[in-house]
Formats: sequence, C-alpha cells, structure tokens
Amino acid sequence: MSKPKRIPGRSVPPLRWPWLVAFFAGSLTLFGCGSDREPGGEGITTILFKHGKIAGDPAKLAEIIAVFEAENPGIRVKDETLPASTDEQHQFYVINLGAGSADFDVLSMDVIWIAEFARLGWLRDLSHLLGESERQKFFHGPIEAVTYEGKIYAIPWYIDAGLLYFRKDLLQEYGYSPPQTWDELVGIARAVTAQEDELYGFIWQGKQYEGLVCNALEYLWSHGGEVIQNGEVVLNSPQNVKALQFMRDLITEYQVSPALVTTMIEEPTRHIFGNGRALFLRNWPYAWNIFQQEGSAIKGKVGVCKLPAFPGFESASTLGGWQLGVNGNSKHPQAAEKFIEFMTSPRIQKRLALTVGYKPTRIALYNDPELLREQPFFAMLYDVFTHARPRPVSPYYMMITQVLQPEFSAVVSGIRTPSEALQSAHKQIVRVLEMGD
Amino acid sequence: MKKTAFYLVLIGLAVFCLGPLFWQFLTSLKPDAEITRLPPLWPHHLTFVHYVAVFAGRPFLRIIFNSALVAMLTTGFALAIGSLAAFALARLPVVGKAFILGAVLSISMFPPIATVSPLYVIIRTLGLRDTPWALAFTYTTFSLPLTVWILTRFFRSVPRELFHAARVDGCSPFQTFVRVFVPLAAPGLFATAILVFIYSWNEFLFALTFTSTTRSRTIPVEIALFPGLHEMPWGDIAAASIIVTLPLVVLVFAFQRRIVEGLTAGSIKG
Amino acid sequence: MKDRGEVMVFPAGAALLLVAAYPVVLVFWFSLCRKNPIFGVSEFIGLANYQHLFAEPRFWNALKNTVYFTGVSVTLEMILGLSVALLLNRVFRGRGMMRAIILVPWAIPTVVSARMWEWMYNTDFGVLNYLLGTQVNWLGDPFWAMNAAIFMDVWKTTPFVVLLLTAGLQVIPRELYAAARIDGAGGWATFWRVTLPLLLPTILVVLLFRTLDAFRIFDAIYVLTGGGPANTTETLSIYAYKSLFQTLQFGYGSALAVVVFVCVGLISVLYIRLLSGQARR
Repeated sequence: MSKPKRIPGRSVPPLRWPWLVAFFAGSLTLFGCGSDREPGGEGITTILFKHGKIAGDPAKLAEIIAVFEAENPGIRVKDETLPASTDEQHQFYVINLGAGSADFDVLSMDVIWIAEFARLGWLRDLSHLLGESERQKFFHGPIEAVTYEGKIYAIPWYIDAGLLYFRKDLLQEYGYSPPQTWDELVGIARAVTAQEDELYGFIWQGKQYEGLVCNALEYLWSHGGEVIQNGEVVLNSPQNVKALQFMRDLITEYQVSPALVTTMIEEPTRHIFGNGRALFLRNWPYAWNIFQQEGSAIKGKVGVCKLPAFPGFESASTLGGWQLGVNGNSKHPQAAEKFIEFMTSPRIQKRLALTVGYKPTRIALYNDPELLREQPFFAMLYDVFTHARPRPVSPYYMMITQVLQPEFSAVVSGIRTPSEALQSAHKQIVRVLEMGD
Repeated sequence: MKKTAFYLVLIGLAVFCLGPLFWQFLTSLKPDAEITRLPPLWPHHLTFVHYVAVFAGRPFLRIIFNSALVAMLTTGFALAIGSLAAFALARLPVVGKAFILGAVLSISMFPPIATVSPLYVIIRTLGLRDTPWALAFTYTTFSLPLTVWILTRFFRSVPRELFHAARVDGCSPFQTFVRVFVPLAAPGLFATAILVFIYSWNEFLFALTFTSTTRSRTIPVEIALFPGLHEMPWGDIAAASIIVTLPLVVLVFAFQRRIVEGLTAGSIKG
Repeated sequence: MKDRGEVMVFPAGAALLLVAAYPVVLVFWFSLCRKNPIFGVSEFIGLANYQHLFAEPRFWNALKNTVYFTGVSVTLEMILGLSVALLLNRVFRGRGMMRAIILVPWAIPTVVSARMWEWMYNTDFGVLNYLLGTQVNWLGDPFWAMNAAIFMDVWKTTPFVVLLLTAGLQVIPRELYAAARIDGAGGWATFWRVTLPLLLPTILVVLLFRTLDAFRIFDAIYVLTGGGPANTTETLSIYAYKSLFQTLQFGYGSALAVVVFVCVGLISVLYIRLLSGQARR
C-alpha cells in the first residue's frame, strides 16, 4: 500500500502561518490588556455615565460633558451608550446591577423602572438633591414616578407623553375643530374618510408590547378608570370594560382604525401618518420634528393637541421619559450626584431641548422665550405634560405590564372580550401584589 | 427542455434568497421620505446619504474590524480544538465516547438567555469585559458542539484503511490527523468554518452583554445602536446591513470551492 | 498500537467545562429555587417551580407554539435544503455564484433580518402585500403570525442545511454514482439507494442542530411579534426571557430553560436512535 498522496493545495500553505500568527500577536498587544479605566491620577475622579442612545449627533452630548468637566476640574466623565430599546437596557441593568457591578456610576432609566430598581437596592437615595421646593419645579408625573416609599431615587431628565396628531388642513377643509371627546374623534374620522380616498381615520400602536399598555391606559384613564388605587387593584371595573370595548370598536364597530394597528409600534404609524395616509395619529412628541422636515409630505399640515377624553372626564396621557440615577454600588457617589445635578439643571435641560430635542422636565422652561421662539411646539406640549400620568408606580410594574400586555392585545385583536381580559388580568395582578407582601 | 426547467428553478431560487436583500438595497438608496411609499417600488431619487450616515459619527470600520477579529479567533480556535477532538472521537479509542458526545451536544440545548447572566459573572471575574477575548472564548465554546459533531461525522467517512495505512507508514496519530484526515474532510472543515464565522459575525446577545465601548463592540450591537428611543432610521440600517453582509458573501464565494473540491477521483483508493 | 484519543479531546473538553459548566450548573440550581430579588426571596424549593409550570396554561401555550414552530420549520428547511443541495450538486456554470447566493439569508444578522421581515410583512407599506396585491394582516392575525415567523425562519436557515448537506454530498465517492448508472439505475433509484443512505449520517447531524436551534428560537419572533398577538406566538424561550429579564423570576425562568433542555434532549435521543439505526443498515 502506497503512502496517501499529498493532495496539492489542500492544507494551508506554510507561508501563510507566520502572517496569521503576527496578526494575532499584534491584536493581542492592542487589546490584550484588560479594563480600560484610567487610574484617577492625583485627585481626579472618573465616573461612567451609562445611557441609551442619545437622539441625533453624539457630539452634542460630548460638548455638554466637556462643559461639565470644565466647571468641575476634579471630575472626568466617560459615557457609554446602550441600545435605545427599553427591553435591552432593562436586560443589561438586570445582568449588571444584579451582579453588583460598580462599573458605571450614573445611569439613565425608563420612568417605569425606578420603583423596581429602588426596591432592589440598586439606586442611591437622592432625596437630599431635591428638597420640597425643588420638587415643585418639576412636572408632577415624573416626580411621582421617581418617588419610592417617600424617597427620591432618580432625577427626572427628560419627559415624554402621548398626544394626538391631526391633519389640520383636512379638518379645516371639512370644517371641524380638533376633537375634545373620543366620540367627536370617531365622528370626524368617519365623515372625512368617507370623502377622502386612501385615508385611514385613526392609527395608534396596538402591537403586544409596552406601547400598547401606554395606549390602552389613555382610554382607561380618560374614562375615569385606573389599574391600582390606594394599593388596591381596581382593574376590573365597568368603566374600564367600556373603555377597552371602545378601543376594540375603533377597529370593528366604527371602522376608523384599520386592523393593522394591532401590529404597529411607533415608527410604522409615524410613517403612515407622515405619508399623508391617516387623519389622526396617537404618538409621542418626537414625530413632530420629522413631520416638519424638508421633504415631508405633510409639512405644515399637522396639528397637535391633547388626547380626547370620554364625556365628563379629563384627558389623560401616558407619561414616558427618562431619569438619571446613581448606581447604589458606585464608588464615586458625590461626583455622580454633581453630574446629575448638572445634567438636570435648567440651563442644560434647555440646551438639550435646543440641540437634541429632549423635552425638559422643569416647568419653568416652558415659559422660556428663547425656547418658545426656537420650538413653538413647546407651548402646546406644556398642557399635555401637566396632564401626563405615570403608569402604576410599583416595584412590581414589570410584572404588572407582563400581565396587561397579552390581555390588552387579546382585546384589540378580538381574541377575548374586554370583560374576560380584565377579569383575568385583575386576578393575576392581585396575585402579584399579594406575593409582594 | 430539462435544462430550461433547471435554470428556471435556479433563477427562482436566486430571487427567493436575494429578494429581501435586494429590497434592503433599494431601501438604502431611497431618501427618508420615500422609504415607506409604495408604489413606487423603485426610488425616484437615488441617494447615498444613508451610506454616508453609517460611517458618520461612529467608527464603523473599527467595529467591522472588531467583528472580523473575533470571528477569525473564534473560527480558528473552534476548528483547531474541535477538529482535534472530532478526530479522536471518530477514530481513536476514547473512554466515555458516547457520554462526551452527549455532553458536548447538551451545551447547545440551553437557550442562550439562560446562560448569559452566569457567563457575564465569569467574564467579569476574569477581567475580560469589553475585550474581544470574552466574545472569542464564549463563541468558541458555543460553536464546539456543532464543530465536533459535524467533523466527527466527516472524519468517520474517511475509510479505516487510510488510517491504518498511515499508521503503518509510521505516522503518529497527530500526523495522520494533519496529513490524511484534514485534507480528506476538507468539505466539512470549510463548511463548518463558514458557519462558525457567520455565527460569530452575527451573534448579538453575548456581544451586547460583554462589550461596552467601541474597543470591542461588534457589528450587531452597533446596528442595535442605530435606532433612537422611538425613531428607526430604516435607510441607515438598510445601508449598514448591505455593508456588513457583502464581506460574508465574498468570503463564502471564495471558500465555497474548497467545500466541493474535497475529493478528486481516485484519491481514496490508494 | 496503543493510541488513545483522550489527549486530543482534552482541549475541547476543557474549554467546554471551563466556560459552560458554571452557567449550566447554575441554571439547574436556580430552577430548584425560588429566586426573585424584587420579592427579596432566594430559597431552595425543590421541584415546586416545575409543578407550578405544569399547572400554568401559559406554559402549555408556549410549548405548543414551540413544538408547532419547530416541527413545521425544520421539516420545510430539511426538504428545501436537501432539494437545493442536490440541485447544486450538478456541475453547471455559475455554480459557485449560486452557492454564495444561497448563503445570503444566513449571512444577514438577525437583528437586521427580523426587522426587515417585520417591515416587509407590514400590512400597509410592506412590500409583500404590495407584490401580492393583498391586504393580509400578516403579523396581527393569530393564524398568520406564527406561519409568517416560520416562513421567515425557513428563508433564513435553509442555507445552513444546504451548506452542510452540500459538504456531505462531496464525501460520497463518485464511483458509486457511475456504478449505479452502469447498473441501469435511474435518477430516483440512485438517490434512494446510493445518495440517501450515505448522506443519512450528515442529515442526522443537520436535523439535530436545526431542531436544537428552532426549539430555542427567540430573537426573530420577539422582534417580529413580541410573542403576540395575545401570546399566540410566544415560544418557550420568549417566555423564559420575560421571566428572567422582565419579571426577574430567576428560579422560574431557569426552570423553563431546563424544560427546553429536556425536550431537546429527548428529541435528540430519538433522532439518534431512529436515524443512526437506519444509517447502520
């Protein structure tokens, strides 16, 4: 038997190995050294600011940080970005803070996490940063959301709330003014879409995700209902059943909303409205600037107002927005607190509003002449933000929303009736709260 | 007749595979205002603004480099130790062979989300956060089951006579492995290499958890950083996806010959 | 000849042990505990998580969705993948290009492809409805949503099957085909008597890994539907993810992961018994 032939060209030619080794060795030296936290140096404290992706040009944030460093010579701030997705950020914090990480000092948090993180001991008590009089300077909703057991665990950084966009050119053409009640909205939508082609009446976000809870609560609240009141679950109430039924009726009975809203999140609805294919849109303030951009099909044709309510009740809007907190394990809490005070100060909030479009959480800024001149939109937003209500402020909110999301989704998709869904959700939430005590 | 049918099927296949990517390509050339307008299918105005945006304000080339480095390390490690183990499991006596194969496979039976938290603790303890090593080690480990199983199968397909012949000729097991088995199992090796490379290139969960800055960030995490809180810059994402898929396609095209040129006739019958 | 293979197996074994052992052990341990930091609980409770799990309708819903998804998706991928691999086994011009094209769906990162399909499936401005001229609510209708996810998965992962089966076809000696032809066997008979039996071991491995992956599917469906509408597309992995990272039920979430492990393990044993029995014949 002969030796197995060496098949030409089969193995990696010997010449290539040294290059590969050199490449790896080079990379090793470049990256091999572990963590990159520069040693403080004499008296320099370095803090790490962890946040979701900032809208727009990252250079704007870098400039603001540079201002802070100039005014606070002993502190250096490094910032690291997380994906904007609220789920991915929550997951990141669960893994990191759950492992007791002290790698970052300041973190940006969704408005629904504060009670949860506070309860888990992941946040430092910041009550001393916001005395009674200071708290009054912020909108009420965010302050409620960052308070847990009487203490403040985060400072509201920027605010978000649901509002109603409408095609003011179409409303004017058909002689309507913006709707104050849901019935008016339905009436206007039916009347106008009957005359216009290729126009949806009212689109909103109905996919099974957190945004659906935001949408649904706006109907529940504007019908006088609530999820939890004074520590008690009041979800399964006649008002709530009616409110949810109305949501479903928008699709089936009144037919002003297409069935496809049950798959929509913010951007797809923004696109449809932005292409001029819808009369009313429920969305967050971010969309305004996009609608007014060059090339937008509806530039100059959009109006905004508070969301409608049911007759006899007040308009309600779900509160969004992000808050800044200090990692409970942070090694530099004082520096971190200084940074947070800076970032939530009036002048920086104003600067963020002008450069990045973040809506300030400080009430006074909504009377600021320069802001109003640059962004006249802000005047309308003030009313919305004062009426913005936080979702149930509870350390168990994540569990509560995991109960609500599929049930609300079942209602808008027609899989369950509102009373079935609310009954089931009510029971589950009661169980959650019981387990907590 | 048969030939036309054959080519028709091929074209259908190409359309099926490339269709969505082509749609991405079209989207990447449309200005923002046109992206969700249908009709028309084709862009009215062609623009490269999205391709520019992909590189503006972020070190995208560095990110691609990170991904390439991690993928190459992973593929190298996984193939090296995986093929070694597979050879032994295929042709040498090993105690508890079935158990080892089963244990190796069972690593792949857990949803990655369940293992990410404990893994993070390990990575942190070893001080490997935000380095390519964290990803390379993790990816290698999770690629081993596929590598070992596929290559064991391919090494088994090499006839025993060749193994014995080489041993009789004085080769050590290792030399037999390198000189005889590796060349003959080349199709499996290259196919596995491609799969491991692509897995490493596209993996997201561990990359998100173990990296924090552009020092070691890989492509999927960078793309996850494109969207804002509510905004989704679909044109930019489409452009980025074209940019990062093309190298892989080129890679595959370069290596696919190696997969099929495995055996020339007569090479086995020695 | 006293070769032993343990030394060669050692590096791989060590890597797996070092990296994977701790997480795996921890998952099993947590599954036996009630561990929820929000409730401040961390205690051993034996099999109570599993009892709770089996009594929970949401679990059975997730299991049903997972089994359906895996069964349909893997079947389609294997059939399609095998057909394409056989097709590309012939020699023709542009074969190399074709092979690279086939791999494109697998090469696109999931973070992108899932979003891409979400937009293609969009009822209003999605290209699918536009090309078909329909108004189907692909992702909002409980029936269509799961099947839309399956279609997307088949598109994405068939290249994996094709690639490995192509490699597997290469190690079948060509002389056997020639011999079959001389014996007068037609295409189908050749396939059945020559190709298939020799390809079976590779098919087994591919089937195994595809099933493993399909059973654990998470990212793609989560982006597409979030598990909705009303949890009708929620798979075990999505359920586990929400339990672990949204509601911080580490014990229960780990138990779900173990259930996935056990199910996949059983299926693997089944495959190996069934198919390697065949292969040996």
